[in-house]
Amino acid sequence: MRYLLYFLQKQYIYFLFLALEAISLLLLFNNNEYQNNAVTTVSNRFAGALLNMSSNVSEYFSLRRVNRILAEDNAKLHSNRSEAFYKSDTSSFYQNDSLYKLEYRYISARVINNSTNKRNNFLMLNKGHRQGIENHMGVIMGNRIVGQVVSVSDHFCWVMSLLNKDSRISGKFKKNNQLVNIEWGGGNYQIGEVKEIPKHVVIHKGDTIITSGNSDIFPEGLMIGTIDHFTIAQEENFNYATIRFATDFNSLSFVEVLIDMMRKEKEDLKNSFKSSER
Amino acid sequence: MTIIFLKNIGRFVFLILFQVLILNNIQFGGYINPYFYIYFILLLPFETPRWLLLLSAFLLGILLDAFTNTFGLNASACVLMAFVRPFVISAISTGTEFMVGHSPSLKNQGLKWFAYYSIILVLVHHFALFYLEIFRFTEFFQTLLRVLLSSAFTLLIVFIAEYLSYPTEK
Repeated sequence: MRYLLYFLQKQYIYFLFLALEAISLLLLFNNNEYQNNAVTTVSNRFAGALLNMSSNVSEYFSLRRVNRILAEDNAKLHSNRSEAFYKSDTSSFYQNDSLYKLEYRYISARVINNSTNKRNNFLMLNKGHRQGIENHMGVIMGNRIVGQVVSVSDHFCWVMSLLNKDSRISGKFKKNNQLVNIEWGGGNYQIGEVKEIPKHVVIHKGDTIITSGNSDIFPEGLMIGTIDHFTIAQEENFNYATIRFATDFNSLSFVEVLIDMMRKEKEDLKNSFKSSER
Repeated sequence: MTIIFLKNIGRFVFLILFQVLILNNIQFGGYINPYFYIYFILLLPFETPRWLLLLSAFLLGILLDAFTNTFGLNASACVLMAFVRPFVISAISTGTEFMVGHSPSLKNQGLKWFAYYSIILVLVHHFALFYLEIFRFTEFFQTLLRVLLSSAFTLLIVFIAEYLSYPTEK
């Protein structure tokens, strides 16, 4: 015992080193389970306050661009008003009134911290639990996708941007509904990868990729980007292409969080299906 | 002694703010992220006890992680760097006595010594950081390029900072 203590005393620096490394790596690789614990909540509060101040200053520099995007969105919304539609008197078509069955609600949020230069990028928004934000909600800008919420505290939330190695979006070709997966391979923040394109799909440069609506996070039809470059594989079963993202991740300042009003219903349905299967 | 202590705490706070508010927003084609905040670990005085070295590096890293939502990433790289520091110092020692209360610096130790010292430690930190961040080998060479470019950029800022503090430090 005496020798053990002596040994510990002599070598304590190695144990301290190993202990600190163990704590760090544990935090790093268990991040998903720890996401909502006290540590993140407290650190979000402090980090959020500071980053909020910094963004208060920097958002002035992007006002001109934000105005332009808002004007575009306004124009788009105006064109969707009922006055803008042709009224047929043979009223046989089904009008899917958005107020009649409200499926998605949008909460506008400000980006107070953002990065595009890491391999795994996150954004911090100035909205949290108090404003009704939960994990796994989708984040969009106009009709372009940005990412999904991964961690929420009372007033802030972290969003995993599309520019992340864990991010995987289910998309499809707008022209023929063929499903593909979109990932980001690091490097240039404007270019992503389109994987698993079936051989028979004819690809052209500039083809539009939109969300498929297969995941619970994004509804169908949001813009992801356009095909930038493609290679026809000789041996493999799938072709590969790169995509130019529609979202400019480096200049995000205002985004919208999508709140799915029917999410509980969908999840219950899925769970009942699973339990009856067993 | 208190002055050295306060000076280091001031440097600690300044470097974290500088990193979070300015350097983390720098974007050069997705390959270069300078991590200048480790300048704090480079500049801790020679006679800093090793436990304090490890603990302060851990604190530095974990605080930075809080701002980027990457808990443990910067902390583990910093602790590794602080752990290696004494070995590096003894390996490249020139035999001259280090004065008590002094930090490693370009002026006192000379260009060659300081270059070896900072290049090795910055590379250790950046290697650990970038490979832990990606944690797979499929993008090995791409990550290597990021490590080397970012290290070069970090070192550039370190040397600029050293030359800027040249005339004032006695």
